[in-house]
Amino acid sequence: MTKTPRLLFTLVAGMLAAGTATAQDVIRIGAPLPMTGPLSPEAVKQQRGYDLWAELANKAGGVKVGGKRMKVEIVYVDYQSNTPRAVQAAEKLITQDKVNFLFSPFGSGAAKAASSVSEKYQVPTIAATASSAQVYDQGYKYLFGTFTPNDTLTEPLSDMVRKQAAGVQRVAILARNDLFPLAIAQEMEKSAKKRGMNVVYFEKYAIGTLDHASALSQIKSQAPHWIFATGYTNDLILMRKQMGDLKIEAHVVTMIAAPAYQEWIDGTGKLAENVTSAAWWHPAVRYKGKDVFGTTENYVKLYQAKYKAIPDYAEASASAAGAIFQLAIEKAGTIDRQMVRDAIASLNEMTFWGPVKFGPTGQINSLEPPVFQIQKGKPLVLHPQAIRQGALQLGIK
Amino acid sequence: MLTFQILANGLVLGGLYACIASGFSLVWGVLNVINILHGSFIVLGGYLAFYAHAELGVHPFLSILIAAPLFYAAGYALQGALINRMIAAPVLLTLSLTFGLDLMLQNGMLLAFTADFRKLILDPPLGVLALGPVVIPVDRLAAMLLALALTGLLYLLLSRSRIGRAVVAVRMDREAAALMGVSVKRINAVTFGLGAMMAGASGPLLATIYPISPLAGTVYLGKAFVICVLGGLGSVPGAMVGGIALGIVESFGALWFGPEHATTLSFLLLIVVLLVRPTGLLGRKGYE
Amino acid sequence: MKQGVLTGLALLAILCALPLGVDSYWLRLGTTMLMYGVLAMSWNFIGGMAGYPSFASAAFFGLGAYAGAVAQKFGLSMFIAWSLAGVVAAMFAAALGFALLRLRGHYFAIASLVVAEVLREIVNSATDLTGGGKGLNLPVPQMASIDDQARFFYYAMLGVAVLAFSAVFATQRSRLGFGLRCIRQNESAADMLGVNVTLYKVNAFILSGVFVGIAGAVYASWVHYIEPPDVFDVLYSVKAIVMVLLGGAGTLYGPLVGAVLFLSLEELVWRNYISVHTGMLGLLIVLLVLFLPKGILAFRPGRA
Repeated sequence: MTKTPRLLFTLVAGMLAAGTATAQDVIRIGAPLPMTGPLSPEAVKQQRGYDLWAELANKAGGVKVGGKRMKVEIVYVDYQSNTPRAVQAAEKLITQDKVNFLFSPFGSGAAKAASSVSEKYQVPTIAATASSAQVYDQGYKYLFGTFTPNDTLTEPLSDMVRKQAAGVQRVAILARNDLFPLAIAQEMEKSAKKRGMNVVYFEKYAIGTLDHASALSQIKSQAPHWIFATGYTNDLILMRKQMGDLKIEAHVVTMIAAPAYQEWIDGTGKLAENVTSAAWWHPAVRYKGKDVFGTTENYVKLYQAKYKAIPDYAEASASAAGAIFQLAIEKAGTIDRQMVRDAIASLNEMTFWGPVKFGPTGQINSLEPPVFQIQKGKPLVLHPQAIRQGALQLGIK
Repeated sequence: MLTFQILANGLVLGGLYACIASGFSLVWGVLNVINILHGSFIVLGGYLAFYAHAELGVHPFLSILIAAPLFYAAGYALQGALINRMIAAPVLLTLSLTFGLDLMLQNGMLLAFTADFRKLILDPPLGVLALGPVVIPVDRLAAMLLALALTGLLYLLLSRSRIGRAVVAVRMDREAAALMGVSVKRINAVTFGLGAMMAGASGPLLATIYPISPLAGTVYLGKAFVICVLGGLGSVPGAMVGGIALGIVESFGALWFGPEHATTLSFLLLIVVLLVRPTGLLGRKGYE
Repeated sequence: MKQGVLTGLALLAILCALPLGVDSYWLRLGTTMLMYGVLAMSWNFIGGMAGYPSFASAAFFGLGAYAGAVAQKFGLSMFIAWSLAGVVAAMFAAALGFALLRLRGHYFAIASLVVAEVLREIVNSATDLTGGGKGLNLPVPQMASIDDQARFFYYAMLGVAVLAFSAVFATQRSRLGFGLRCIRQNESAADMLGVNVTLYKVNAFILSGVFVGIAGAVYASWVHYIEPPDVFDVLYSVKAIVMVLLGGAGTLYGPLVGAVLFLSLEELVWRNYISVHTGMLGLLIVLLVLFLPKGILAFRPGRA
């Protein structure tokens, strides 16, 4: 009996002793990420993006702050895909780990919940994956976001389909009942109706759904010209496979947001062909940035060298969030939170991510999100015109 | 016409569900242990099939032959080493034990395989079987048939072999079985091994259909609970009936009430079945 | 008895004084601990005293959170909304209890587990009322500073905990507590001896729901943004059970001790082991189950 408490005691003591390091000439940025739980695949992407930026900034000697250079360090905390824990993690990073700045937790819901903490401590915070306008309209001064609102995705998409596929009249929408997937599906419904299209099917499916056959059979019986589906990578791999299983055909199939991810293309194989999507960034965009990465080409090259893969918008957005902090700190010449906050708010700079300028609410308003289509296993840009790589292919089997 | 398609969808889905639940039901019924690890065992079996296919080109259906003995051995060892110590403890304690073990296994898989989703794609695909306007995907059909065959094999093993009858005897009356000279300890380990084997063998089947990730097991576990109650605890035919019933209810539920209500409906059904007929749809108590 | 009261009062004094000396992160942890304390103490009524393995805590918590939030959406004041959440949870527990408490053992466990799932999906699909998957915003209470807010919610949660604790204290000394212990030991015998088992069990179930419902509503106001998967999380049920088992079921202080111990361990592994903390937590649970059965085995349904 005495053995056991001692064992536990040793365990606990060991845990207490582990970790507790602070350094002076380092800029610390806190990053609460969903490293475990259902969102964990997204955390992998965010971390890759942040790490790439921190590594590059440090390789150059650090971030220029006034006359000297300071190294950057990213402090990660796992919030277990649980929003209350994300808020707790943000507060821990600020009060316990003494970070200078913060990256938001993943997605609109958690970013919104955690923003009250950054506001309370007046810590400049950049959200790399929050697109819903409701995140930013709380009147907060310290929250900034790298995604434009959801309608900037559905509008150009609908325009293009309207112009290049006049026969598209009947639209079916199937959305995951979750903050972002549902919000963008509702934007899509508006965009379609605005252009006189007929939304013949709009349903939601529950989180954790293991079978879409019924919903898809019903969609098939409506014979839509355009099928628009939202969800996370696993949902959309399964759904695309089941569409194939049921021999569903349509002029256009759009899925958001998974087709931008290589995992989705790998996970669907030939079925990925001709699926369209839109995102806030694409490796084919061409910008000549003033940030640490410089051109988009250079960013893609650096990313490929480190991870042996093509970056997607989620990874690039995380890197961009880091690069934006760097631009703002160098512009402010200090790591004083108030000054850096003002520097971010007044930023008007070209980056590898695109032109960066934040609106009055803190959400970026200078991006033109590309529309793309998977052709021969590669996502090709269809819009904007300037970086077009291919023409819209109609027909999905 | 839609009705026939939905019925076909439901039947095929139900076959997969039966496979998910049969091992779980066996362990619960015989050992009185709710094995939270079951879902993660399925996922681990899926990873085994994924890597065997990606690295060595092994067909996932063949991977079952590798997975089954491996998982049987692992389950046997785990039961002998850990779970047997707590076998007489109240159910909440063994549940906590397997819950803790599951957290460890999930964490291990996250470290070993990363959180990225993987998907095993058969090339060329098996295609679809068209019966008039009703289409049935062949991979699902094959997986369902294999699943039913596996479940049937388990049933035969339990009803025909000496060791199987000992398992059934232990389920019915632990003390009496011990008096009759059955080594209850060994039978416990065999049962847990069989449960793990069923989970490990269904992994490759599901891998052809669902994306794999370290946490995918939670959803499978939830389904297993419902199926067990629907069919009756500890009964292999029960798991089959429960699985198919769930598949059909979910499919028609999605058609009639919208896809977001499919799961809710199955849970409501579960509560009703519990209240009206606590021994499950088959309504038999003993293990056959 | 006298000593017990003194210990209780001393504990309360410490808990009341705590916000004076700590920063707001620790205050957040304290609020969380009190919240789980409420969950654990409440589970003790049905699980510890009556011996029914209930997984319904998550259902009561989420129901309370949404009842409170929706009530405030319709303009009710915060305190009234919290009380209303308690009433809703109690009524729901009563109705549920009459239906489900006829089941025993595993079957009861499963049925109570599923209730939270059903409620989550109903809330999820009632988009007009609850915002569905998009979540629901609550009004932020107007207060001088955000630190005051943190203190306010700490004391609010402390209030709920004191209520729950008093209820446990009173129940243990009442006829209800005696009846529940009889039911745990042998329900049929209790029935034959004239204990109205159904009524007793339903009462225990109501007690196990009402404070959790209020705690859910306080939680919703505290975080002022809720989503169905967050408040109907099955882990609320599982953690409450593990905490009670840790501390000793059926006892007065056991659930509180278990809550503090469990959350301290969780916080400790969480802040020190970034990539293996879930595994470490799992390992701790396994070790506790295997090596500390004394603290844990106080809970034995069907045994004296």
